[in-house]
Amino acid sequence: MIKTEKILHLKSCRGRKVRVVREHYLRERVPCYSSLCQADCGNDGKLLPGDLTHYVVPDAGVVLDYLEILEFRELQGVVFTQTACQALQSKGRRYYNRLRSLLRDPRHDCVLFANEFQEYSYCPREKGESQERWQTRCVYSAAVWYYNHLAGMMNIVMITEDRAAVDQYSSLNSGVFVVSLQDYLQDFWPELAAAHELYASISQALQEKEGEGTEREYSEHLPAEVLEAGIKSGRYSQGTLNVSKHRAQNEAFVQTEDLSDKNTDLSSGVLVFGGKNRNRAVHGDRVVVELLPRSEWRGQVTSLTEGQGEDRSGEDSWSKPMPTGRVVGILQRNWRDYVVTFPTRDGTQSQTRNSQRILAVPWDRRIPKIRISTQQADTLQDHRVVVRIDSWESTSLYPNGHSVRVLGRAGELETEVQTILIENCIHVPPFSDAQLREMPVNSPEKPWTVDPTEAAVRRDLRESHLVFSIDPLGCEDVDDTLSVRRVAGGKLLELGVHIADVTHFVAEGSLTDLEARMRATTYYLADRRYDMLPAVLSADLCSLLGGVDRYAMSVMWELDAQTLAVHKVWFGRTLIRSSYQLHYELAQALLSGEQAVVPELVGLGSKEKDAKLAQLVQALETLTHVARQLRAQRDQGGALELEGVEVRAQLDEDRNITALVPRQPLEVHETVAECMIYANHWVARKIQETFPAQALLRRHPPPRQELFGQLVDSAKAQGFSIDTRSNKALADSLDQAVDSQDPLVNRILRMMATQAMSQAVYFSTGAQPQDQYYHYGLALDRYTHFTSPIRRYADMVVHRLLTAAIEVEKGTGPGKVPGSNKEVEEMAHHINSKNRAAQRAQSLSTALFQCLYFKERDAQSDPRCTADAVIYSIRDNGVLVFIPQYGVKGPVYMRNKDGQVVAPGPDGRCEWQSGSVRRFSDRITTTSSSGSATFRLFGHITVRISVLSTSCHADSLNLEVVSNEPHRGAQPEQPRPQGRNQLVQEVVRLAEEAQEKAAQQLPKLSREEREFRQSKTPNLYSLLEEVRELALMDTEQVTQVCATTA
Amino acid sequence: MAGLELLSDQGYRLDGRKATELRKVQARMGVFAQADGSAYLEQGNTKALAVVYGPHEMRGSRSRTLHDRAVINCQYSMATFSTAERKRRPHGDRKSTEMSLHLKQTFEAAVMTQLYPRSQIDIYVKILQSDGGNYSVCVNAATLAVIDAGIPMRDYVCACTVGFVDETPLADLCFAEESGGVSSLALALLPRGGQIALLQMDARLHQDHLETLIEAAMTACKGVSKVLDEVVRQHLQERSVLSGE
Repeated sequence: MIKTEKILHLKSCRGRKVRVVREHYLRERVPCYSSLCQADCGNDGKLLPGDLTHYVVPDAGVVLDYLEILEFRELQGVVFTQTACQALQSKGRRYYNRLRSLLRDPRHDCVLFANEFQEYSYCPREKGESQERWQTRCVYSAAVWYYNHLAGMMNIVMITEDRAAVDQYSSLNSGVFVVSLQDYLQDFWPELAAAHELYASISQALQEKEGEGTEREYSEHLPAEVLEAGIKSGRYSQGTLNVSKHRAQNEAFVQTEDLSDKNTDLSSGVLVFGGKNRNRAVHGDRVVVELLPRSEWRGQVTSLTEGQGEDRSGEDSWSKPMPTGRVVGILQRNWRDYVVTFPTRDGTQSQTRNSQRILAVPWDRRIPKIRISTQQADTLQDHRVVVRIDSWESTSLYPNGHSVRVLGRAGELETEVQTILIENCIHVPPFSDAQLREMPVNSPEKPWTVDPTEAAVRRDLRESHLVFSIDPLGCEDVDDTLSVRRVAGGKLLELGVHIADVTHFVAEGSLTDLEARMRATTYYLADRRYDMLPAVLSADLCSLLGGVDRYAMSVMWELDAQTLAVHKVWFGRTLIRSSYQLHYELAQALLSGEQAVVPELVGLGSKEKDAKLAQLVQALETLTHVARQLRAQRDQGGALELEGVEVRAQLDEDRNITALVPRQPLEVHETVAECMIYANHWVARKIQETFPAQALLRRHPPPRQELFGQLVDSAKAQGFSIDTRSNKALADSLDQAVDSQDPLVNRILRMMATQAMSQAVYFSTGAQPQDQYYHYGLALDRYTHFTSPIRRYADMVVHRLLTAAIEVEKGTGPGKVPGSNKEVEEMAHHINSKNRAAQRAQSLSTALFQCLYFKERDAQSDPRCTADAVIYSIRDNGVLVFIPQYGVKGPVYMRNKDGQVVAPGPDGRCEWQSGSVRRFSDRITTTSSSGSATFRLFGHITVRISVLSTSCHADSLNLEVVSNEPHRGAQPEQPRPQGRNQLVQEVVRLAEEAQEKAAQQLPKLSREEREFRQSKTPNLYSLLEEVRELALMDTEQVTQVCATTA
Repeated sequence: MAGLELLSDQGYRLDGRKATELRKVQARMGVFAQADGSAYLEQGNTKALAVVYGPHEMRGSRSRTLHDRAVINCQYSMATFSTAERKRRPHGDRKSTEMSLHLKQTFEAAVMTQLYPRSQIDIYVKILQSDGGNYSVCVNAATLAVIDAGIPMRDYVCACTVGFVDETPLADLCFAEESGGVSSLALALLPRGGQIALLQMDARLHQDHLETLIEAAMTACKGVSKVLDEVVRQHLQERSVLSGE
């Protein structure tokens, strides 16, 4: 056992001063995590490289205030001391966790040194010494220890913001330099402009904080003990604050977490009304609320509001009063990076005190305005900027923050797309060199080949099986292939699903794996894609292309040819060569017996071709047969078919749209999907059985019945009854609710059903009881994601679990034990949140493109801006409509802000007149001097689409009723996906044109030049270069050259 | 409470120990001459004094006499100054009664009582300073006192508490760790045979983890026994040197 020593510590808690004696053990050997270490420190894990010029030891104060700067990956060799770490811990859990993730991140060159447990670097606090001084002394002594420990081979730079410390310590030791952060950045990182800007902005914010006023704007938050006691006794309840999107100024809800069973009227959440009651809580924070007396309870506003919630008191109608409360404390801040827009400065705007403090408007309406201190207020006008909130004192009406990064001018395509990414916390930097170095090479000079040792352990399906893939046209990342054949004299069918073996190439814990885990999924935006894995994997080595050898992870069933009962299932790694890379349309054409050209068979003799074609068609037919039966089995169980509005754009490398994955009901789509669902289901069974407590599955909880209210009511208005008791009943009644006049009715009903659904989520089997594993939508008792490891990280986790399960079965023992229940559950949470972010980003970018599309057109004259719309919901002062042509949903107002209502003329044309609006359950009636008009649920109206531009937020579409008749010019149901396709292309083209126009003002640039922003060759640099080369020659020639180039 | 981080990512605990390391144990035997046996033991900042009288004939109610073995009578108390806030601690409160009972059970399992029929052995333990693991410190101190009194035992009884944090068992909890909401387990072991004299746990713990926790507790107890053994040998050496002169 190691030498120990006892030290006294003083501590006060709960108001009273209590002397607490704590032991403190010191040891000689504390790992230093440096690769230069001579003393055999027992270092393991991340090491600091030895080839740096210096190591940096930041002081506690620096870590507290400027952690963000230390997060720059360019700063290498950072040694965080335990002292600083503890100081950060007392500041807040959130900051500490940030530091922890920084330390864990292998891409970031920093380590934690437990200086207070090191015998020679620890210094006990002296009597009367202030905490800050003691911390500085501790950090300095740690720095000195490092210098001596590494035998002077590495210089140590300690950074502190304490001037006195710089003076005191800087000349004490030769190898240890003590400088201030500003000097450090200037001396060592003069080119790292981003860090300098961040430094300036943070220090400005800190200075401002000192000069705060004392006027109270909000009541103080209660201390943590009081909150905890209150929650336990039931006086307060805790939950996550959710600010209403449409009335961000006033309405917010707290979804309480644990009280739902005890206190039923709180289960629907607590309303927090007004800014005073919200008491500095920001959207997403975990807060504690106290209920107000029942007499002060109020309801939710049910009418539609335009734009940002202006206070429209009195006339609004309220829903029935619900529990209302006020925030008394905040358990956990959930601040992230926000995108704000600096407002345009006009003379009238009175900037209080000095002009450096700007109230910036966040892009997300739910976030309050943020006060930013900056010197660049003028240059940043109308720019979108990433900011972080620092603090929100009770004396200040708005939170204080600092700017981090400038994104660009508001309204530009690139800026807006970046905004969407940041608002959803999506970070997709290009893959680093270190990550790419891990990748296998496949180039024309050095083609990738199958490793013979790998081939020996894998089952070889190259000769024995006919493997093919069916994907959208032009798809690069083929992650699934299929095979089917008859065995045992035709009595059995062997169905195989072969998935790209991504985990073979991406080792767990490698840099690529970490990056993929962080991204969790491939992000598809309307005009671009951010891959989860580097292109060499996703588009090449892991992509199961036709005609090349590839590793795969396979599931193979032996099914009874008649009943399709499963005889045997085999899971394992295989080696395949896909014979055909089909696309959906081609496969469908082959199935229906049409003449189609299979590219793989071109150039073969006709006889051979016919034989091969027959074989392929036979396989496809068998497959379709199997899939139909499987589908029928699931339909028995109550699988739902739901309508989504999303359409995904497929893009090629140059970011041009090649195709939109169409939702056209080709049967072959379903065939492929069914096989994948089947594979997912069986893999889920396998891993759940082998690892009952730590398998990653996917569940789809049944929806809450009350959410179906709108669907049932709407359907009733149309004369259909919807039964929502079980998934089977719902599916059946949705199938029956078809209006022969209007196919849209069924589609809208399905859309509403989808909205009522809860989201399917990943989870760890140890975290849920077994009856919760059920997948409601697919009607399967266990389900997971296995079939797309190229674009989803969850599938990679499942692949690893399956590999481990196979090893367990073989008896070789799991080579690598999968993570514990806790780790898997954490991972599931992470993937879920990233998936939600990806979905939000995708729909936001679609909305962005819609807006850009309509922005270019004149709403009054352009026929494309007038469209047919279907009413799907009735509100107090308007209706919600769906425009099938563009897939847009939005509100249409029947009464505008001036109190005027829509009044249709004799030909159906509508205009604004004064009058009144009455709302019924299935219709809304406007009455004015020229008569009354009724708008019914599911009625068709004509709307004009225009764009509502705001400088600070995302643009939104404004719909205005033109006529209460169906749109006459509307071509009957032009295929929607195409319309959307054109829309996106159009916008991209316009953006490119705009860019080109901008580029034309500069001299024309070739591609390489554009990359480096260099001007054409007769520029000053090349001229000087030529002169330099000629310097040894005679002067006459030089002048000649000058003359020619000039 | 989401307060302290009991085990850092680097594997250090609040006071700088690693997960399996014990606190520093220091002990002395034969501190009082009046009693038959006595010992003083420090385990970190927890300090205990144990005194043993007996075996002697039954005192008090003779009806409790056992005709085939000795009765073990234990009394546990805490000094008023043993915690951060001074507090009067009357005898016979529930906590100390429970602790007395536990001690009694522990030593009935370890002392060879059948050698002393119809007699009584008194073990008094006082906690002078409390910093976590009171039970185990009492057991360890009492063991030394019993040995000092020359009463034969089957083996040393060594006790240790173990806590469970982040899927890792922490040996020998200090007060800050105990009050940090850790589910802890106290185990008294006869190390040579590996028999468990007492096992006490009053927190929730998943069944799967119990095995590892007991395993860790046994290792810790064996560590304690090594230290105690050394103390006893040292003490004997000193004594024999003294008497030899």
